[in-house]
Amino acid sequence: VTDASSEPSPVEPEGVGADYFDGRTARAHPVRVHVAGDRLVIAGTDVRRSEPLTSVHWPERTRHGVRMLHLADGASVHCRDSLAWDTWSADRAGRRDSMVVRVQQRWKWVMVSTLVLLAFMFVSYRHLLPLAARGVVALIPASADQALGDSALQSIDENGLMKPTTLSLAQQQAVAQAFARSVARLPPGDVPAYDLEFRQSTIGPNAFALPGGTIVLTDELYKVVDGDSDILVGVLGHELGHLRHRHGMRMLVQAGVLSAAAGALYGDFSTLFSQIPVLLGQASYSRAFEHEADVDSVRLMRASGISPAVMARFFVKVRQPAKGAQAASAASAPSLPRLPIALASHPADEERIRFFEDAAREH
Amino acid sequence: VISSRRRPDIGLTAMRAAAAAGDNRASKNRGAPADGAKGEIMEIDTQPMWPAEAPHGTTAARERPLAVRFTGSGSEYFRIWIVNLLLSIVTLSLYRPWAKVRRLRYFYANTLVDGHAFDFHGNPWKMLRGYLLVGAMLVCYSVAGRFSAMAALVALLILAVLWPALLRASMQFRLANTSWRGLRFRFNGTLGGAYRGMLPLFVPALAMGAMRFELVDPQHPTMTYIKHIYAIMGLTLLVAPLMWWMFKRYQHDNYGLGQWQTKLGVGPGSAYWLALRILGVALGSIIVVAVIVGIGGAVMGGAAMMSGVGVNKVVTFVLIAVLVLIGYMLVLMVPVPYAMSRAQNLVWGHTSCDEVRFDSQLRFDAMFKLTLKNWLLMLVTLGLYYPFAVVSFYRLRVESITPHLSGNLDQLQAQGAGIGDASGDAAGDLFGIDIGL
Repeated sequence: VTDASSEPSPVEPEGVGADYFDGRTARAHPVRVHVAGDRLVIAGTDVRRSEPLTSVHWPERTRHGVRMLHLADGASVHCRDSLAWDTWSADRAGRRDSMVVRVQQRWKWVMVSTLVLLAFMFVSYRHLLPLAARGVVALIPASADQALGDSALQSIDENGLMKPTTLSLAQQQAVAQAFARSVARLPPGDVPAYDLEFRQSTIGPNAFALPGGTIVLTDELYKVVDGDSDILVGVLGHELGHLRHRHGMRMLVQAGVLSAAAGALYGDFSTLFSQIPVLLGQASYSRAFEHEADVDSVRLMRASGISPAVMARFFVKVRQPAKGAQAASAASAPSLPRLPIALASHPADEERIRFFEDAAREH
Repeated sequence: VISSRRRPDIGLTAMRAAAAAGDNRASKNRGAPADGAKGEIMEIDTQPMWPAEAPHGTTAARERPLAVRFTGSGSEYFRIWIVNLLLSIVTLSLYRPWAKVRRLRYFYANTLVDGHAFDFHGNPWKMLRGYLLVGAMLVCYSVAGRFSAMAALVALLILAVLWPALLRASMQFRLANTSWRGLRFRFNGTLGGAYRGMLPLFVPALAMGAMRFELVDPQHPTMTYIKHIYAIMGLTLLVAPLMWWMFKRYQHDNYGLGQWQTKLGVGPGSAYWLALRILGVALGSIIVVAVIVGIGGAVMGGAAMMSGVGVNKVVTFVLIAVLVLIGYMLVLMVPVPYAMSRAQNLVWGHTSCDEVRFDSQLRFDAMFKLTLKNWLLMLVTLGLYYPFAVVSFYRLRVESITPHLSGNLDQLQAQGAGIGDASGDAAGDLFGIDIGL
């Protein structure tokens, strides 16, 4: 700083040395600052000011950095010896740090804040956000789901991911009728409108539900289970569960909020980095949705007298030929349109097999 | 403690020579730490050949570099950041303006030019108003997009039309609330200038909007339609460097402090040359990574074949995935720091006003190393390293800029103040555009 800060003047030993700027020129005036009664006195060779303490804007305490005090008329006092300033302002000027500053300057409280923050983030990620998404989705009209699903189906057909089905009309009707019979046994008013579509797929045995009510069943899945209507009812019941809970829309809302939050947090470090929590969150939400849909699947199978054990068998069946295909689709995943509700991308198969086996035992 | 020993005027030539020598050594010896050259300059720099306070009224012809130092620390910014974050979440983000003021005050109070820190004067209550205004606008925009394509288009149009005005307001607010040695900065850009600066972006955007009417049947776009789309995309790429240059010129022609008013002394040609070099570096790194991944994949594939099918299949798959991931990261981590360092050097290296000439020596290798280190630590700490990363990036970028002063600071005088609207500042923050002084 200036010479004034390093060697206290014998005339005014009180206070602290600093630079005074009048706000009109860039000239630094070496001064000493002290408190006299309820006034702040700034004194130097060519400066002499006395301001009421209430009109002064004090700097906050930090470990590093210049202390800058603002006066009402735009003038300011800068002190680079932050330690001397802090000692003086606490002991002589009677300044108390604000609550926030005290928390910021104590590692103990910072650690507590960090833990509270992490706990809060975990709770909102696991419970609050899904809960909020449910509420938000309830406000969104069903026509929005329909528009979303229609454009998704259109892009799937146009991208060549799906081709028209090779199943015979009789085969299609058999599946549709078996499913309709089971659905009719569910309590009325609790069944979403659906529209069953058949497609030949390039991504292997699969079934998925699109927002708005379209359920797509691939020929490959039909062939893997040899058209077993019990299994197909279970699979379609699972997809109907996705529709009933509007999982497609909820995922959109949850992922949207997650990505906005991650963007606000880490976006200015790297957009790529901020996408990592979004991807992880999507995977975790998708698992939760799968479980909800499995519960619905069991409900439908029970209503129509099918043992949930058939689904456990289905998983074993679909896993054997699909292993290679799954690895391939995992490797090329970024280029595929995201289908968070696609059946083949379900993680934790073992857990789901166990769920259906347990359900069968209760049955 | 930061001492502001001013560099002696007579030592300048010697210093330049030392700097040049240091640079040569560093470039010859890439393995040496990047600080080596800097340390040497510093030694010469700190020899007290002149009293600490330069005598008033030095002649304007002599030039002296003003040292830029950042004295903040990552650990302290961590403490500020975490408390800001907690309070922002608890208050449903209403605390954000206060958080921003704390953050800016911390960074400014630790950014010393010639031993004097910057200061931020923004009023968080005013900034809250701006934040809410811009937040409401963005919510309307995203909600409109969900319901109908037409509403989304209208909202986008409104946003696009308002955007240059918001940007200007943001820069006015930020500069008017930033001071150095007690003097407020200014942003002198006009409203018309903001729109003119954005013009190259509006032309392809409007053409794109007009194209929507050309499309009769969205399911079966005609060949001419697709050709037009490609033409517009090509045009956008072609005008991107011009757009960037015009925007930078709009900023760097309009910064003011006292009687000073900066000017960007570089033409659009340099922007195109820079874009070409960045493109070259990007392509080069993609090729290098592709070759490495290819060879690695082939070697691993071969090894898997030799050791029998099935046994190492999973291991090979995981290894290839890791290799691809590393490649992907390298492809991003070479061109981005390269572009950032060269762009900063180009713009700040050609910014000057009557009595100050800026210089920027941001090195690519330093940026690259720091990017790599920050990424690694961000991943390891699950993002908690973020404040440290921000501080280290800021320090590297800001300390590489050196203003050279040839006038007398004591004669610098305020020219009357104009204070911008805080909603502009909030917009600049939300859209991620910051002037990065």
